[in-house]
Amino acid sequence: MNGFEGLLTGFSVALQWQNLFWCVVGCFLGTVIGILPGLGPAATIAILLPLTTAMDPTGGIIMLAGIYYGARYGGSTTSILLNMPGEASSVVSCIEGYQMAKKGRAGPALAIAAIASFIAGTIGIVILTFLSPVLADVALSFSSPEFFALMVLGLSLVVLLAGNSMLKAALATLVGMWLTSIGTDLFSAESRFTFGLSDLLGGLDFIVIAVGVYAVAEIMSGIERGDDTKLLPLPKGLRAYLPSWDEIKACRFAFLNGSVVGFFIGTLPGASSSISSFVSYGIEKAVSKRPEMFGHGAPEGLAAPEGANNADSSGAFLPMLTLGIPSGGATAMLLAALITWGYKPGPLFIVDSPELFWGLIASMYIGNVVLFMMNLPLVPLFAQILRVPIALLFPSVLGICVVGAYAVSGSLFDVATLVGFGMLGYLMFKLDFPTAPLVLGFVLGDPLERAVRQSLTMSQGDPSILVSRPICAVILGIAALILISPLLRRKPKPPIPT
Amino acid sequence: MKRVLKNLAIVMGLSALGSLGMAHAQAFKPSKPIEVVVHTGPGGGNDVFIRAVLATIKKDNLTQDNFVVVNKSGGGSANAMNYLREKAGDSHTIGVYASVFVSDLLVQEAAPLGLDKVTPIAGLVSEPAMLVVKADSPYKTMADVINAARANPGKLKQSGGSVLSRDAVVRHVLMSHTKTDWSFISFPSGGERVSALLGGHVDFMIIEPSEAGEMIRAGKLRPLVQIADRKVEGFPNVPLLREAGFAVPNVPQSRGLIGPPDMPPAAVAYYTDLFKRASQAPAYKAYLSSKQLDNEYLPPAELRKFLDGYQNELRVILKGAGVKVVR
Repeated sequence: MNGFEGLLTGFSVALQWQNLFWCVVGCFLGTVIGILPGLGPAATIAILLPLTTAMDPTGGIIMLAGIYYGARYGGSTTSILLNMPGEASSVVSCIEGYQMAKKGRAGPALAIAAIASFIAGTIGIVILTFLSPVLADVALSFSSPEFFALMVLGLSLVVLLAGNSMLKAALATLVGMWLTSIGTDLFSAESRFTFGLSDLLGGLDFIVIAVGVYAVAEIMSGIERGDDTKLLPLPKGLRAYLPSWDEIKACRFAFLNGSVVGFFIGTLPGASSSISSFVSYGIEKAVSKRPEMFGHGAPEGLAAPEGANNADSSGAFLPMLTLGIPSGGATAMLLAALITWGYKPGPLFIVDSPELFWGLIASMYIGNVVLFMMNLPLVPLFAQILRVPIALLFPSVLGICVVGAYAVSGSLFDVATLVGFGMLGYLMFKLDFPTAPLVLGFVLGDPLERAVRQSLTMSQGDPSILVSRPICAVILGIAALILISPLLRRKPKPPIPT
Repeated sequence: MKRVLKNLAIVMGLSALGSLGMAHAQAFKPSKPIEVVVHTGPGGGNDVFIRAVLATIKKDNLTQDNFVVVNKSGGGSANAMNYLREKAGDSHTIGVYASVFVSDLLVQEAAPLGLDKVTPIAGLVSEPAMLVVKADSPYKTMADVINAARANPGKLKQSGGSVLSRDAVVRHVLMSHTKTDWSFISFPSGGERVSALLGGHVDFMIIEPSEAGEMIRAGKLRPLVQIADRKVEGFPNVPLLREAGFAVPNVPQSRGLIGPPDMPPAAVAYYTDLFKRASQAPAYKAYLSSKQLDNEYLPPAELRKFLDGYQNELRVILKGAGVKVVR
């Protein structure tokens, strides 16, 4: 069965009314948990797993998958409106999304996020449908040295994320990389920087840090500003909720960039979705004709990471469906669900259970349409959050942050971490340190260290393995171009005042 | 007076243990949902295992109790152990242990709770493993691998988990038995380990049959040897380590239930009894065999003996491997 025949079979399964129903339910649940920080798709699927064992497997897996990719849609909403990332994958969306909202373009920002998610999510599924066998081999040829190169590429983005001072950006990156080394070392099982605290043995949680540095710090500086009664300007009239043609046009490349980068990084087990959103954001800025707009509400800087995190979730299905290999917690839960129903996910899954396989793929096309139709009309509604007076909004958002941090692992230590990083974020804001490099360092530090140590073990200590493999050389070349890109440019125009 | 009462309670608890299955005047009955603490996030090995087990004991009609899985991931088992410590004396919290609970304690200076403080409830399963190579690998037998390792010291590569994981421990046992040496590359997730093997970046790995079964069936991986006490169903032609000529002690991957420190004996008896009945029930047994898990129920006293014994063996192995052991 080739892709076309398969898809036809799949749609005949996915379009049965009960499967359509479960697809909508999954997408809705995904959107909701995407909005709430802390509660992620993996935990939600785990909670629902016992209920689904009694369900028809096709409807069940369609719903659970909907939760997984639906969460990527919802995550951007609070990033844009409140500077509070709802999922790890939408941290990068805070950078441009919140700036757009600050300029009164909250509606268009939400709409662009939904459009980018839809386009990239769909392109991702098309790639998954037709190119799976080829790309599965490409993904497998990617090993630790290539991961190292990818992480170096990620780190080179710091020069693009830096605000006024490269030194401050580098410092923030290093602090982020140090923070990620806290915990138990995988290779030696030794505890690092835990200061005898058993709570630190597991390291710090990314979403707690991101919510602290972005949302809590924003609330603190908002209180300091004090004079506003409304947080952000509210769009007036229906037209103000829709992106302008110029904004859409600016995002054309970003849709494609997000789709390809997101899908490919998504296929790599062990690469988190925050990596794909960071990398696509960086590439977008590096090729942009107006990089000075970035950090001041460039719509393409929102479209790229939002697209990437959706294509990333399509990519994650590739190793899961073609080999039975989970790329993270949520896909591991989906595999567990399939096994509980008596299926055998693995290389022969498509041969053994073509109806379920293609039904699931087809349901993802439908799910993306459902999510788009569900999210776009919600834009004006969500934007009403900005109507809430600050005296009510700040305490509520802070409350959600605290509950979200607590929900990560049910520990008060995470809440204390949240407060600590809120204060750090505020301090960085006061001292004019950019926060994005800190978060980037935190995301990339751990996989970078791992990749170096794995590579050097493979090569018995010979560092040439890190640069000599062809894929590494290409990626490192791109990283080098990004590093020198500020020098190649004409002197940047002064930033657009906000 | 308090101590007398406590001793009395212990005596009564012991007698409760002795009269399992018999109606008992002070029998414990859960009065609220029971928290089941797991040391991995959703989707991790123990998490998937216990969620499935809890679903099957419902299917077997063994209990009407409500169980809530609580994920306390981080620091290997440290955060889960920390939670058990906070719940000392509680009757409505149980924890799922894996072998890593034992090894973590040996290396974590900040480990919150010693193994001697937890309350053993029941051993449940032991999980066999296999050493697999990629289908196009030149190695056809375990002897081929060992000979290659002897000819090229340090050159062969094995992908695996942390230095404390079962696959790392098996490596040390095999290397010291055969006087050979190869490298071990740690990857945090099972998906990355098997990807490294399928991509040809490492030479072999040690993997659970439930994880490798489909890839073996599809002809992508080839099992060379089984790391188990008896043969796994469905692989009659793959020799055990000792049959292949390597008489090394078996390194178990076991899972089961422990309680917080000072758990009331009546509560322990309740859970022990429940899972003893589970070990005989059809849906539970069917699940274990579908996942190639050995049904190895152990009552509390034997579980205590097993955990202590395993800790002592492991201490020797890890020290021999150059890991910094703190207790």
